[in-house]
Amino acid sequence: MKRREFIKTGLSGLAAIAIGSVSIPKLFRFEAFAAQRSIDLSMDAALVEMVDGSRVFHWLFGSPASGPSFPGPVIFASAGDAITLNLTNRLKETHALRIVGTSIVSPDIPPGQTRSLSFTAPAAGTYLYCDPLPVNRVLGLHGALVVSPVSGSTPYSLPTPAVRLLFEDLKHSDHFPSNRKSAPGWQPDRFRIWLQHQIDPALNARAQAAYLDGRAFTLSAAELTARFLPRYFTINGKSGAFSAHDPSVALDGLIGEPMLVRLLNSGLFTHSNHLHANHYYVLAVNNVVQENVINLDSQILKPLDRVDWLVPFLRPPDIAGDKSIPLRTLIANELGLKISGPNGSPGFPQSPLVYPMHCHMEQSQTAAGGNYPQGSVAHFNFLGDLDGIEFPNTM
Amino acid sequence: MSIPTISRGSMLQEQVPEYFKFVCPPSSGGRNPDPQPPTVFLRRDLLSDFDLRLRDGGRVRMWIIEDPDDKVNGRTFPSAPIRVPLNALVNADVNCKGGTHTIHWHGIEPTPMNDGVGHTSFEVDGHFIYQFQPRHAGTYFYHCHKNTVLHFEMGLYGLLLVDPPKPDGSTVEGPPYPIGKPGFVAAFSPLTDHVVPYDVEAFWVPDSIDSRWHTLNHDAFMQKCDADDPINPSFFSRNGIFNDFRPDIFLLSGLPRRKSDGTPFGAADSPLVAPKLRVGQTLLARTTNADYLIQRFKIGLDAQVIAMDGHALGVPPFEKYSHPIDLPAGTPFTLTSAMRWDLIMRPTKTGVFPVTIEFLNQITGQLLYTARTSVTVTL
Repeated sequence: MKRREFIKTGLSGLAAIAIGSVSIPKLFRFEAFAAQRSIDLSMDAALVEMVDGSRVFHWLFGSPASGPSFPGPVIFASAGDAITLNLTNRLKETHALRIVGTSIVSPDIPPGQTRSLSFTAPAAGTYLYCDPLPVNRVLGLHGALVVSPVSGSTPYSLPTPAVRLLFEDLKHSDHFPSNRKSAPGWQPDRFRIWLQHQIDPALNARAQAAYLDGRAFTLSAAELTARFLPRYFTINGKSGAFSAHDPSVALDGLIGEPMLVRLLNSGLFTHSNHLHANHYYVLAVNNVVQENVINLDSQILKPLDRVDWLVPFLRPPDIAGDKSIPLRTLIANELGLKISGPNGSPGFPQSPLVYPMHCHMEQSQTAAGGNYPQGSVAHFNFLGDLDGIEFPNTM
Repeated sequence: MSIPTISRGSMLQEQVPEYFKFVCPPSSGGRNPDPQPPTVFLRRDLLSDFDLRLRDGGRVRMWIIEDPDDKVNGRTFPSAPIRVPLNALVNADVNCKGGTHTIHWHGIEPTPMNDGVGHTSFEVDGHFIYQFQPRHAGTYFYHCHKNTVLHFEMGLYGLLLVDPPKPDGSTVEGPPYPIGKPGFVAAFSPLTDHVVPYDVEAFWVPDSIDSRWHTLNHDAFMQKCDADDPINPSFFSRNGIFNDFRPDIFLLSGLPRRKSDGTPFGAADSPLVAPKLRVGQTLLARTTNADYLIQRFKIGLDAQVIAMDGHALGVPPFEKYSHPIDLPAGTPFTLTSAMRWDLIMRPTKTGVFPVTIEFLNQITGQLLYTARTSVTVTL
């Protein structure tokens, strides 16, 4: 089997490792690395800069090429792939790795030791890998495993009839017109991963003190939960202005270019994720492909949950006026408008069409106790009309 | 010992204006940029102070959105429901005082300038005529989206209901249908064009209040604005409490109870929260989590979930991938903030059937309060 490994550029955000022939969109900031026989992952200490510039100690997974990353590298595989992880623990206490929702778990890895975990990639879907102990996961030892199906035109090995029908309709139906300049239906490279996490710096400071003393740090799940007061809320390791504008977080596309979003919650706070401009179809919840595919604007995401959404990229349905008129004609004035900024700045163009996705448990929209909206937020950008013509100011 | 540092992200020079807009939205107002002739014109003013009276005589300061055209019931918490027919072309003239505000029409999906989010469009200075045309009949709500963590908690919200047309020959008033009275709702029903009747309507909109937050100013704990360096760490506030929500007052559709007061909500409080109907009649209950807590509902009657987030389950074309869900009496279901389920009940026997809503902490899952109401069924 061919294996390739990639490195990222040194920012928070998603690093990635691919196994076999899985291809990864260019939006992940990494470079091709030499083919390897198996994946090396280490557990290291690092400081992660928060959106307000403060630096918070973390325990992180990393590959030899990228170093520790927050979150850990995304592992891309195909269903049935044989995967071997060589896990090296460079921290002061025993660690391990499990894949939530499966029975896959590594042996315990004492400090300074390496252990291997071999497994077969499970059914296609979105998985969270993490240290099995909650405090270790919350201190940063987590990442996403994305498994693609070997065949088919949905994200799943065994789609339900409802999911299959939805993906057929996305290709050709009157209610899901495809963009004229794009291949019809959902394209496998049209996806995002949103790994949501929360950080309580007081907890991390205790782990840092132990690390600097050369001591092991641990906390029971009950103590952890009772004292946890998150102060930063991240998507793919970033918050606020940085997550909203990150190309690996923002949903970008033309009207009629549907996109898959894979959401994971590695923290302890229950999110309620609200997308503006389109309802989304819930395809899978905790690796159960849905028989009843509901269409929501707000959805619960509990700790450890994995949920897949299909965002149809419909022309926002409640725009006033005749739906047969091209949008860029119907709202030409808005698209051409610049709202003046302060002190003679050139103004803010209202094109392309930008909307937010944010958690509605609004504490998550803060950083350091305020500074709204510097929390768990993404942007949803419509870059052009159904006929493929871009809106003004679309880069 | 050297520990590597991972950067919070990077901002390109050409992104400076976007980042600045994200932190400090521009303000604007006036006419809609692309006006259409409205079929519904309404007004809302925000904000004004409102004293929420507790049963023990205590008061909590709320902020409300007013309906200036209703001198009798226009000053309420939650704000007066907006109720419009499906496909209405709505113009909503929103007047802001005491600083800039917005209204987001939650679940309605118009252009960004009509979506009421400052950091993706603008905040309203003076007035602005928002415009939208709802194409899915169901349950929505509207709320201020400025410093939302505070402004939503302070009470700047109300229900927004979109009513389907009634069948030919119906003598029911509407659409819009009168609140609490008979009407029609979108639900899977191929033989009746996916519109079904109900006789009684209930609103179960649970919320909770952290009264520490209710003495703060509009811009509490916002960061400072600097157009040249919008995310300079020195401009962040450091003393905020908005990550720490500790509710001490719990509400059902605007009716408050202190944490220590477990008195059930009854018809004397409001028939909208403790509805009464007869055997053979149909109850429509609209639920909305207007809170920052996890809410677990239990209804002592068999119910069917007919819609979620304003979209009727099973109704083609957009909802043909789903179907309504039967909830046998006592089956719990969980809503987090902004989730909305519409339920239909058709009781077959008389009795007083309990409805409980448990408020759970969003981290520990700890039970903080149980709100109790009921559905009364008579012959």
